[in-house]
Amino acid sequence: MIDPMLSSYEQMVFDAVARLENYRIGRTRVVVQVGQCSASVGASLLADELKSSLNVGDLDVVTTGCDGACFAAPQVIVNYQSGDASYFQNVNYEDLPEIRNSLVNSECRKPSISLERFFSLQHLSLMSGIGDIDPYSLDEYLSAGGYHGLLKALYMTPADVTLEVAQSGLLGRGGAYFPTSRKWETARNTDSPERFLVVNAEEGEPGLFKDRHILEGMPHRLLEGALIAAYASGCSKCYVYVNAEANLSSERLSEAIRLAQDTGLIGNHILGSDFNCTVELRIGAGGYVCGEETTLINTMEGVRREPRLKPPFPVESGLFQKPTVINNVETLANVPAILLNGAASFAQIGLPEATGTKLYSLSGSVCRPGLMELPMGATLRQIVVDVGGGNLPEKPAKLLAVGGPSSGVLPISEIDTRMKPGWLHESGVVMGGGGVIVLDEEVPVKEVVRSLAQYNASESCGKCTPCREGTPRVVEMLSQLEEDDDSTNTIQDLELLSDILAGASLCGLGQMAGNIVKSGLYFFRDELTGKNEKM
Amino acid sequence: MIVLERKELRPMLVAKYPREKTYLLPVLHFIQEEFDFIPEWALQIVSWHLKVPASEVYGAATSYSDIKFFVDDKQTVRICSGLSCWYMGGKSIYDQLSSVLGDEVSIQITDCAFTCSMAPLVEVEGQWFSRATGKSVLSQIAKRSD
Repeated sequence: MIDPMLSSYEQMVFDAVARLENYRIGRTRVVVQVGQCSASVGASLLADELKSSLNVGDLDVVTTGCDGACFAAPQVIVNYQSGDASYFQNVNYEDLPEIRNSLVNSECRKPSISLERFFSLQHLSLMSGIGDIDPYSLDEYLSAGGYHGLLKALYMTPADVTLEVAQSGLLGRGGAYFPTSRKWETARNTDSPERFLVVNAEEGEPGLFKDRHILEGMPHRLLEGALIAAYASGCSKCYVYVNAEANLSSERLSEAIRLAQDTGLIGNHILGSDFNCTVELRIGAGGYVCGEETTLINTMEGVRREPRLKPPFPVESGLFQKPTVINNVETLANVPAILLNGAASFAQIGLPEATGTKLYSLSGSVCRPGLMELPMGATLRQIVVDVGGGNLPEKPAKLLAVGGPSSGVLPISEIDTRMKPGWLHESGVVMGGGGVIVLDEEVPVKEVVRSLAQYNASESCGKCTPCREGTPRVVEMLSQLEEDDDSTNTIQDLELLSDILAGASLCGLGQMAGNIVKSGLYFFRDELTGKNEKM
Repeated sequence: MIVLERKELRPMLVAKYPREKTYLLPVLHFIQEEFDFIPEWALQIVSWHLKVPASEVYGAATSYSDIKFFVDDKQTVRICSGLSCWYMGGKSIYDQLSSVLGDEVSIQITDCAFTCSMAPLVEVEGQWFSRATGKSVLSQIAKRSD
């Protein structure tokens, strides 16, 4: 039974490589990076234009996902047959003749210094190949070693796969950093005949754009991870729940699912084994609270967008009251490499208590905003200054909003803080999904704090009273702070209300809603009360 | 025209979606794509098709921010109010557009659109434009109103 599995996989890879080589022979490959972000500066139009207008020899114009260097978007990369490459950044229509000429002369252009610097300091494993591999092509993923991790997993027992992931120390990347293997184990040990895997791609946190890059750049990496997770936890059906705004992600993912189905990587007897799993794509309909796992389940069942009481946890009773494993996209995309290279290679990166690499989304007032991959425990200085290039000229950074509205704000003096699970600062700052927004001195802190608090208030689903009534009250009291001559009482009330929110709310949205106030009051009390303006 | 489509909706749903509650969101997405919004009568048909009380369909459908129950005839411009976009120029674009444009264009503020690295982000008639300036947005509006 073992040999047919290996030979069918080998045949699949062999065919893929042969097809690719056959097609690529004598062709120059022109890569246009089109993601949702670069599409908004015209990358998809550029790709169409390049496909129709470049009549220079035999060309293979490919659209890929973005490699994370958003500041350089749209990027065009020319790969010559000789192995040389030519890089173009911030391309627009006027640059097309230049690209054409450079193709005719087989010129090689080096990437810009800032692009080289952006990548040289990163630790690429999850993002490797993204921006180079065609997301629409299963052949390209297979020839780059794709689905080998799945094959390896299918030779092991589900318990051994779970053990391997446990040894790697992989923690869930959605924001809670719960050990992934423990979810799988609990679900597998339930006696239900049916279990579900839900991939949480409802990325709806301001300042965060990591999952989208994976889905757009390499949807097969997620699918492979999801299949391994389904195998390890004994699930026979996998749902991928994608954010409604992420059109390109769902388009590329549904194509990937179709291709994988056609080649027998999804369905019955995957790769000739006894493992059966189907994958279905679901599209969300907006709302920050949908990222919360029980809300996600409710949404998929067709009821109101509201969280459920925990326990029972979804791993025991989730979707349709069946055990349900819910994993984040970034978590699952890490799994194929763990299986392929072994747990030890993953565990040696990062911190002892939080292993591996993490994707950080950097935006705001910095030179090189974008998505970067650094080991767990990287400092904010590494993210913002070393890779991100520091603040924009003449706009000194003042404030770092880390982890979105469920977290808090840090002053620039805390830039040596390490990004790790748990509190980054006891006043209520957490890493969350790894979003970092840099704001400069011109930005009024009270507006930032109020706007994040307002976001929580408007996204509150209204099911539980503490959150429904408390989050708008926080916003009101923040405004009150400025009007008070003596704000001591209001500050005390705000701190009390934050604690009540944390203790009494039903789900993470309410429980974390006080963090922004607490960290704001801790670091910027004078500005929130309007004291320094009067001085 | 809508009357015709109204008749067609029931068989279309029967052909496309199993009669299970879990398909509520896919069905709503489908209707919204067809009509640009969810007409109230369509909720009745959804209720019949999925065998869920109409009140529950209404309750669930209204809890999602992306499900719309009316369409705006005006040209709409949506400016992202995420922290990066707002303070990297979105705010000044909003001020500029509000002072220049009249009633024929509806200027809205939207929650974060998760393209923060390309701030500021502005949506003109369903199409996102990033690294926007007041001038570029105005030229896009002019291009689309022709």
